[in-house]
Amino acid sequence: MSGGTAGRRWAVLLVLPALVPVAAVVGAALVSAVLLSLGLTPLVGQPRLSLDAWRGAAGDLGTATLLSLGIAAAATVVAAAVGLCLALAATAVVRRSRLLGALAALTIPVPHLVGAAAMGLLLADTGFLPRLLGVSPDAWPPLVGGEWWVAVVAEYAWKESAFVALVVGGVLASRARSYDETAALLGAGRWARFRFVTLPLAAPALGAASAVTFVYTLGSYEVAALLGRPFPEPLPVMAVRLAGSIDLTVRPQAAAVAVTTAVLALAAVLLALRALRRLSAWD
Amino acid sequence: MGLTARVARAALAAWLLLPLVPLVLWAAADRWTAPAVLPQAWGTAGLRDAVDAGAGPASLRSTVLGLVVAVLATPLGAMAGRALATYRVPVGGAVLAALLSPLVLPPFAVALGLDVLLLRLRVPEPVGVFLLLTVAALPYTTVLMRAAYAAHDTGFEEEARTLGATARQAVFHVQLPLLAPALAGAAFLAFLVGWSDYVVTLLVGGGQLVTLPLLVASAASTVGNEAQVAVLSLSSVLPPLVLLVAVGLVGQRGRA
Repeated sequence: MSGGTAGRRWAVLLVLPALVPVAAVVGAALVSAVLLSLGLTPLVGQPRLSLDAWRGAAGDLGTATLLSLGIAAAATVVAAAVGLCLALAATAVVRRSRLLGALAALTIPVPHLVGAAAMGLLLADTGFLPRLLGVSPDAWPPLVGGEWWVAVVAEYAWKESAFVALVVGGVLASRARSYDETAALLGAGRWARFRFVTLPLAAPALGAASAVTFVYTLGSYEVAALLGRPFPEPLPVMAVRLAGSIDLTVRPQAAAVAVTTAVLALAAVLLALRALRRLSAWD
Repeated sequence: MGLTARVARAALAAWLLLPLVPLVLWAAADRWTAPAVLPQAWGTAGLRDAVDAGAGPASLRSTVLGLVVAVLATPLGAMAGRALATYRVPVGGAVLAALLSPLVLPPFAVALGLDVLLLRLRVPEPVGVFLLLTVAALPYTTVLMRAAYAAHDTGFEEEARTLGATARQAVFHVQLPLLAPALAGAAFLAFLVGWSDYVVTLLVGGGQLVTLPLLVASAASTVGNEAQVAVLSLSSVLPPLVLLVAVGLVGQRGRA
């Protein structure tokens, strides 16, 4: 039933209702953004092929790109490290922590926007953390809206660490325990078991979850918009500001920023897929 | 367990919980000025402000948005997942890559690109939001249902067919009930995409579709109304959380 022309036709019929809207929306959005950024479909004035939008955005585009990559990289590193620790604690052979597993799972449905609101209430100079630590608002470093984007990175790292924990924990729970026990029976110490059994088993899942975290953070708008500073802006904040401007002639610049972000995200995914292939080849 | 491990686990629990503590405290605080660690006056001022800001109708709009996305993305994802898992789809790898592409592309970039087009085609704003969020949810429902169909034993359906069931009966009376937990999971994820979206509603909704996340963002971007921010935030976290726990409990009872 699964082979033959009838099976193939049936398969195509089943997949088209999902494929058509996805391909139409993604394709149309990308083509439309590229055309708009090249001046071919302006909202006002005559269509004319030009790089004006790209030139106009160029000055801030470099800074925004570096800033976006930096925020995404920092958040990914913290999320991967904390997420791995959470996964290890939640799946440990001895005294597995059900509580940490449950807390991580409960963090998953919290929207990033709510996470950003919560981080604001926690890390601002009159927030909960300085009160808890007894630090006066004047002495508290500017974590929200400050130079180092601490609150922004913290929010992404917080939310995504739970995601990493869930993905890596799933793999460890199903595969690692028996290997770990075998290695222990054969006399491997704790560090050797972690280094040569657990980590290699967790690596593909950890890599994949980190890649998802990086790409998500790179393209996400609301957290940096809420907890960041007005200048410099990361790519999504810059694009949304330009798109919302009353000056319709800067719309093509917004499209140029959107295209840049999409290309960066695509490049990051392709690089990650290559690295992951090499990682799983170690198995 | 050693002291170090105990401290490490406490630190991890604090990492997960700490950001939610001020949210809960602020939601019930009428007055909480620095440097007090706990509110000086408890009350429902935050709730009142949130209701005045339109939390009621906004929750309703968010619910409808989540339901529409779930109703559209779950069956489409299930069909695609079925095709990819059990049949030989022509250029299957490319089809899967295309279906996953909304995960790779930043939602704001897709929304910005499509917004101009939707305006030119005079597509009503809410329809544009439904379309974009359904596309954003399809990768999740497809991947989940593809995994479910891959693990699904078709023997039961074949048995039903041998016993005289029509193909349609085998799907609706045998296949779908067996896959109900996976379908519920897929629908939950799709609901979450619609329920918690901010940037697509902001960019494509044209200000017509004021959902709960839009209220959270506008309240959080001004200072001095922390209680309202906290109440709005909790209202957008609790319904999916309750749903998640309920689905988990039902799933556990089903297994027992």
